[in-house]
Amino acid sequence: MSLPRRSFLQWLAQGTGVLAAASAPYGLAHMLAPEAPPSRVTKRPARRTLRPPGALATDSAFRDACIGCGLCAEVCPPRCILFHERDGGEDANTPYIVPEEKGCILCMKCGEVCPTPALEAIPRQKQAIYDKVRMGIAQIDRLSCYPWVNTGICGACVLSCPLGSRAIGFDFANLYRPVVKPDCVGCGLCVEVCPHPSLPIRVVARGESTVTGHETVEPLPQGTPSGSAGGAGVLPF
Amino acid sequence: MEETIAIPTPGRRPWRRHLNKLRWLVLTLVFAMLLLLPMISLYQTYVAAHGYDLLSPAQQRFYDFMEMLTSPFTSDPEKGLDAIKGTTWSGRFFGLQLSDPLAVLGQIAAGFTLYWPFVLSALIPVAATLLLGRIYCGWICPATFLYELNSNVAALLRRAGLNFGRKRLDRRFKYLVLFLGLVLSAVFGSVWVALIYPPAIIGRELYYAIALNGFGVGAVFFVLTLLFDILVARRGFCRYLCPGGALYSLLGRYRLLRIRRDVRNCNDCVKCNAICEFGLNPMRDDFGQECNNCSACIAACPTDALSFGIAIRDLPNQGDGHLGPRYRRQRAAGKEAS
Repeated sequence: MSLPRRSFLQWLAQGTGVLAAASAPYGLAHMLAPEAPPSRVTKRPARRTLRPPGALATDSAFRDACIGCGLCAEVCPPRCILFHERDGGEDANTPYIVPEEKGCILCMKCGEVCPTPALEAIPRQKQAIYDKVRMGIAQIDRLSCYPWVNTGICGACVLSCPLGSRAIGFDFANLYRPVVKPDCVGCGLCVEVCPHPSLPIRVVARGESTVTGHETVEPLPQGTPSGSAGGAGVLPF
Repeated sequence: MEETIAIPTPGRRPWRRHLNKLRWLVLTLVFAMLLLLPMISLYQTYVAAHGYDLLSPAQQRFYDFMEMLTSPFTSDPEKGLDAIKGTTWSGRFFGLQLSDPLAVLGQIAAGFTLYWPFVLSALIPVAATLLLGRIYCGWICPATFLYELNSNVAALLRRAGLNFGRKRLDRRFKYLVLFLGLVLSAVFGSVWVALIYPPAIIGRELYYAIALNGFGVGAVFFVLTLLFDILVARRGFCRYLCPGGALYSLLGRYRLLRIRRDVRNCNDCVKCNAICEFGLNPMRDDFGQECNNCSACIAACPTDALSFGIAIRDLPNQGDGHLGPRYRRQRAAGKEAS
């Protein structure tokens, strides 16, 4: 009687040992990984939550669908798609973009090659990109942007935008003050060219944006931290 | 009456003995492709950027090398090198999307949805496994390439007198790993079987190392599996723990292509058992669903008693080989008695 029970316990102990050993690298990495390694460009903690263009609306749906094959990054011409390769956890091996380090050029190749529904194939047309790409949205710090504090004429962000006046334009009253519009998709090309050392323009998650009216384009997905959405004027952005 | 025994004449060995070399060629090619694809991807981004002068000297050397390598095949590297993309986990092969069945299963478990274009991309691998068994494990898997080299390292260590790595565990354990991996994927909503599946790890870690910022955690996990193979059991990960191996074993249970022993030619030399990476018992017809048709035993057999055959089941144990000493002794004894 005791023999099968003992062998079962032995089996169980071995199994637990093996499972512990298997999860050790990922668990340790998760614990040891710094919360967010500082960005190369800004030296601030980099946001590593923005998904490539065409990603499913919620992050949990994206994690469900993504198998971590790396095809999206392999075809990405500017190599802006990075991976959670060392921080373990649920996000392990899923792609993200840090637009301030490397902006997405919206070539839409990643959605085309993605074998899973994680990234949707979106045609490379302005209207389709306005409608479907929801990477993030640009934010302008009006307390340091050169034209906004009257220390120069710039407009680099406006000129670099691939999407045109529905995404970013000049303020009505002052021709050189940039203003983000609701259709900005957060590609980050404007951040790349911003000449100000502190990068007053940056890309944030759409829920965190204070750009007036962008929420009316699409209601926030359930479970997204709402931040200060809609509260234009509360923060100096 | 003396039984006729066909002893193969030297110089007329059957071609199937060279299949193992072909297998090594395929394994090497797959691994070389996994090294080459990130390099091609990197090269394509350099070409697309039109910024040769902005590259560092090392990057320029890399660019020149890749240009030398690819210029015979294409004049437009930006678009002309896209025939093969991805890894063995999921990739595009001359316009055909192919995925590991485990990737599909893991994704279904994580998302509870069927995305048909993705599910269908595992159709060819599944069909191949149903017909040919664990052929992926033996012939394609990039981890197998490293694991078999690692087995040689372990053999050298053992020859040097270090006595470990001979444990035998329960080979049903991998089915539990597969089951648990899928359950955890479903519970946590993330394809977690990919984290412990060596070929997926190899593919993406090589990509991270070559084209991005260096190895990730998966490389640590893979080194641990190499140590496990050396210290605990030969090919222990594939035999006892690999979730993909478990899935392929299940799919290949009633495979058509099987290695079979011709008992009349077998001399019980045990070379096949010694060479079998998975610790099976070809000398006594015990292959089962674990056999990955790697053909190493066929290459090792000195009397060409082993060959590929088409059948849905293994032969039952046929007993001692007719060229073996025990069978002949028994026959002689039987003759004397009669």
